[in-house]
Amino acid sequence: MNKPTLAALSLAPLLGASQTLVQAASIASLTLVLVILHRACMTPLRARLTGIAGECASLLIAAALVTCANLALLAWALPLHQTLGIYPELIAVQCLLFEYSLGRTAGWRPALTVLVGFAALHIALGACRELLASGVRLAGLMPGALLLLGLVLALINLARNRRAASRREGNP
Amino acid sequence: MNRTLLVGLLTALTLGATLAWQHATAPRIAQAQAQLQARTWLSVLPTSRYDNQPLQQPLALPQPALEHSRLLAAYRATLQGRTSAVVLHSQTQGYEGPIQLLIAIDRAGRVMATKVLEQHETPGLGDKIAAPDSPWLGAFTGLSQGNTPAQAWGLKRDNGQFDQLAGASVTSRAVIHAVQDALRYFDSQAPQWLAGEPDE
Repeated sequence: MNKPTLAALSLAPLLGASQTLVQAASIASLTLVLVILHRACMTPLRARLTGIAGECASLLIAAALVTCANLALLAWALPLHQTLGIYPELIAVQCLLFEYSLGRTAGWRPALTVLVGFAALHIALGACRELLASGVRLAGLMPGALLLLGLVLALINLARNRRAASRREGNP
Repeated sequence: MNRTLLVGLLTALTLGATLAWQHATAPRIAQAQAQLQARTWLSVLPTSRYDNQPLQQPLALPQPALEHSRLLAAYRATLQGRTSAVVLHSQTQGYEGPIQLLIAIDRAGRVMATKVLEQHETPGLGDKIAAPDSPWLGAFTGLSQGNTPAQAWGLKRDNGQFDQLAGASVTSRAVIHAVQDALRYFDSQAPQWLAGEPDE
């Protein structure tokens, strides 16, 4: 699986669970923690389990981690859990996706960069939607979230291009 | 062989850990759910108006199917042993699905507060009934069968006295009729519910 597919499948939590800053921040941080834990559990197993056995192991660990996290949310943060809907459960899919697409890359650095970037984008989107929703009703709804996401990504790309360009000018 | 063993071991381990964790958190989850239910349900009653635990005191509901809605439960709130209010849990059909309402009614048959527990109405239009402290729901406060004639329970365009939520006339009608049903039911049951208690 390649990165565009990963990005496409990650849209569901990104658009669905970013109505408020609290919602976005909790789902983003839960995803971050659970995916890191999942990766940590898989690291020693990956060499021993290849092919279908490895995928079974990945599935089992993702299911167990997400179930336990959900039970903890129910027990200690029930009101928060109610605002999150089905998205805490969906983190299992994120765990599998990250394992599938980035599991083979050696070292933690590239994986962490993607994860932290994704979490930051999620929180930024949540903040934008909460700020705008009081004035622009569209921002609170799903289509508005998609438009905003496009806008945020365009801004990030613009900033990166600018920086790349200035760096080129700086070091001819 | 070695691989199968490892996957089997992993299955047992993850399953065991999950079950143990579920067992450990179960009492805490039950407690949290009861607390949350009590907090949302009792938000329709000012704390100065009761000193019992109303959710522990359900009332019997003979013939709970009403004209436009259905009653699911009723609870008695008492202050110093005397009934101060009754909270009715009612369900009616909205535009997109069932709407569940809590309607608190005082001894005199007046609405004290109304709250939407569950709804599936159109986002941005009908779902405004569920907004916290919805001004539209606030319009019912203080109304009773005594101070509001039966034909006034409708939208202004149906010759009633209530505004409608913009773009959500079906939702608005459903809620108005459910509140009227609840008041009617309270008045019919009040003699039994308040029997043996002196009036003010």
